[in-house]
Amino acid sequence: MSFAAPWHLGWLALLPVLYWLALPPRPRQQAWTAHLAQWQMAHAALRRRPPRLSGLRYVLLALACTAAVCAYASPLWRGEPGPRRLVVLLDGSLSMAARAAAAADGATDAFAVASSLVRRQLAALPQHVEVTVLRCGGPLRRRLGPSARTLLDLGGPEGALDVDLPALAAASAAPDTAVWTVTDGQGQRSLPTVGALTVVPATGVNAAVLAVRTTDRWPLPGLGVEVDVVCHADAAQSGELRVSGAVAAVAPRAVTLAPRKVTTVSFELERAPAGGELELALTVPGDVLAADDRWAARLPALPAPRIAVLAEGEAGPFAGVAARALADEVGGSVVAAAAGEPVGLLLTDGGSVAMRPGAVRAVSFGTLFGSEATPTPWLDPAVVDWDRTSALTAGLDLSELRVQCAFREALPAGEPFLWAGAGQREPLAVVVGDERQASVHFAFRLQDSNLPLLAAFPQLLRRAFVRAYGAAARLEPQVGPVPAGEQDLLDHAVAADRALPRFGAPDQDLAVWCVLAGLVALAMRAFVR
Amino acid sequence: MKRRVPALPEVPARFPPGFLTLLHELLAAGARLPGARIEQQRARRAALSQSGTFVGHRPYVRGDDLRRIDWAASARTGELFVKQLEEEERRTAVLLLDLSASLLVGSPPRRLAALRLAAVVGGLALRHLDGLTVVAPGAGARAITSFAGAGDLAALLQHLDTLPVADATPEAAITLLLQRGAGGRVHWISDFATPKALELPLAALRRRGALVTGWLPGIAEDVQAPRRGYVRLVDPETGEVVVVAVDDALAAELAHQLALLGRQQDRLFAQCGCPLVRWPSPADGDFRRMLFLPILARCAQ
Repeated sequence: MSFAAPWHLGWLALLPVLYWLALPPRPRQQAWTAHLAQWQMAHAALRRRPPRLSGLRYVLLALACTAAVCAYASPLWRGEPGPRRLVVLLDGSLSMAARAAAAADGATDAFAVASSLVRRQLAALPQHVEVTVLRCGGPLRRRLGPSARTLLDLGGPEGALDVDLPALAAASAAPDTAVWTVTDGQGQRSLPTVGALTVVPATGVNAAVLAVRTTDRWPLPGLGVEVDVVCHADAAQSGELRVSGAVAAVAPRAVTLAPRKVTTVSFELERAPAGGELELALTVPGDVLAADDRWAARLPALPAPRIAVLAEGEAGPFAGVAARALADEVGGSVVAAAAGEPVGLLLTDGGSVAMRPGAVRAVSFGTLFGSEATPTPWLDPAVVDWDRTSALTAGLDLSELRVQCAFREALPAGEPFLWAGAGQREPLAVVVGDERQASVHFAFRLQDSNLPLLAAFPQLLRRAFVRAYGAAARLEPQVGPVPAGEQDLLDHAVAADRALPRFGAPDQDLAVWCVLAGLVALAMRAFVR
Repeated sequence: MKRRVPALPEVPARFPPGFLTLLHELLAAGARLPGARIEQQRARRAALSQSGTFVGHRPYVRGDDLRRIDWAASARTGELFVKQLEEEERRTAVLLLDLSASLLVGSPPRRLAALRLAAVVGGLALRHLDGLTVVAPGAGARAITSFAGAGDLAALLQHLDTLPVADATPEAAITLLLQRGAGGRVHWISDFATPKALELPLAALRRRGALVTGWLPGIAEDVQAPRRGYVRLVDPETGEVVVVAVDDALAAELAHQLALLGRQQDRLFAQCGCPLVRWPSPADGDFRRMLFLPILARCAQ
């Protein structure tokens, strides 16, 4: 036993003071007597006791004082030397999803084998060992204490092992910290030389879908797909590529995969109108890693645009013609603009409409929103520029656009993509809305410009339609790209396993016991006369 | 609890001139002791007279007259015994003095009164009897000292003045007295603080025919507590210390215990047929004659 603060033991010098204080007071008078026996009998008859120092009471008080001083000096019972913390670097990269060569405890992949091994080892550790589990690969997850011992919510194997395990192990190791690396050696040049090491074997043939490129012809149902596949094996492998999901049925495509050579396979698909999930699956016999054999994407439903036209009385036929042309292109129809009629796109030309810009998918030309005031004409605004990078106007030639009259009041606050003006630029058209729903507004009516006559008008109108739907019409891949380092399971770092070191025992604080002993001594003193 | 015992209290001058003057007056005008006239007549033929009333035996000591050996008693017991005759012993008196430290208690100390009492009684014996023997247990070589005639008064006072403080049990004192011979008048001056210890010695003296008179110089502490408050009491004999808080209740209880002690002393002497005389100690320097007259009156009985 030792003391963390032995200088506090100096307070034991108070014991003589306590003894002095415990002494009964000395009488100032003294008298000789020949009748001491009579004095004592008189005392006894009155049941009195002479004041005296109770040795046992003082011993108990001194014991309590000593215990308190010892507790103040922080008595420690020395434990055993050795590390008292353990950092587990658990490889959770995609390659750990490979089928384990010798699966135990019902484990099906290397990550399950590694998790089971780590869980058993942590359960056998003394409770005073502070455990930290770092799941490396994919999203980095850190677990401490009880959640670390049970490997709570570590997820499945995914992603790339984009950490340097030897450097991380060396950085984590300390005199009181042991490091244990559990990995399959995939994606690392070398394995840690510091701390314990367990290599979970996960080798074999692996075919993978490397990349998928799509050509989306939305709102038309056509969808072009190009798939890059590869097989990491020592010899060529034959496989099959299947397309399933929200597309018209496609026959499986047989592919012959040369060793470690990328093969591209193209598909022309027709999307189902209701949308859904599109899945591409590569099947190669003997493939031990199935997690990289699949690619999936969510396909939005094809639009069935119902285009309504609102045009003022003096407007020309341009809006109606444009609506019919757009409906023909996207496979929709022109419907009457009536209350209660579901509308996919509202096309307005002039006039005033009670709607909030951006809340309705619409394309307006010189239309006022919720205002009965007479707009101020803006005569002959000169078109000076348009946004070359906007999805609406990129690649279009609007240099021939002439506008006779425009209305500034017809433009709500939004993102401009067309400007006019000689000195200071002023917007002539804006986009209002978010990623999934928007409306496009022009400051002029069709009959006040030559826009319907331009060659870019149909394309601009179609792009406005696509922009009105935004991300709601976009294909969303469900599977990310396969990490390059997690594919070739035949090429991994190798090292011999190293066992965990012997962990030390912590120092035991005896202060509580000292305080308890002192309290017991005081309690006993209360019953001692 | 044993503690360091302070120095014993000092006893003031035992026999100052005032007391000597008073002593001479008392001896000159004092009453005769019982049998004194007869003894004076018999003193002339002391050497020839071997008769008297048989009162008991005592062990033979070297120097005794062989004619006084009781051969019949010696034959029964196997030891030599001599006959004690009453007339012979009455011519002397014995002063048995308690020299223990417990007599140093009091203000003035009880020992001062005891020595002056011994001087008065011894002076009377020297004046009216044939001799006086002072037995002082614990005094070493001077434990037994004999005086004869009125001319030895100064020697007696000198002897009393120089006696040391010495502790001796009553059994030891009686043993010493019996070795010398227990017949005659025995004046035992003590505080008799432990009455139970006196029971057997008094009975032994009585069996040997001694006429014992107990003298108890009284002090104020014999009847009441000396003071109030937080007091440290010290027994001068044993050095034992007791710390007490003296209040009215304790003082009353102590007075009760002291009264019980007095009754025990009286009952003890009464059981043995001996008188116990309590003589209130006069203050130091108070030599009024009337204070000492009770001694003369008691000796004359």
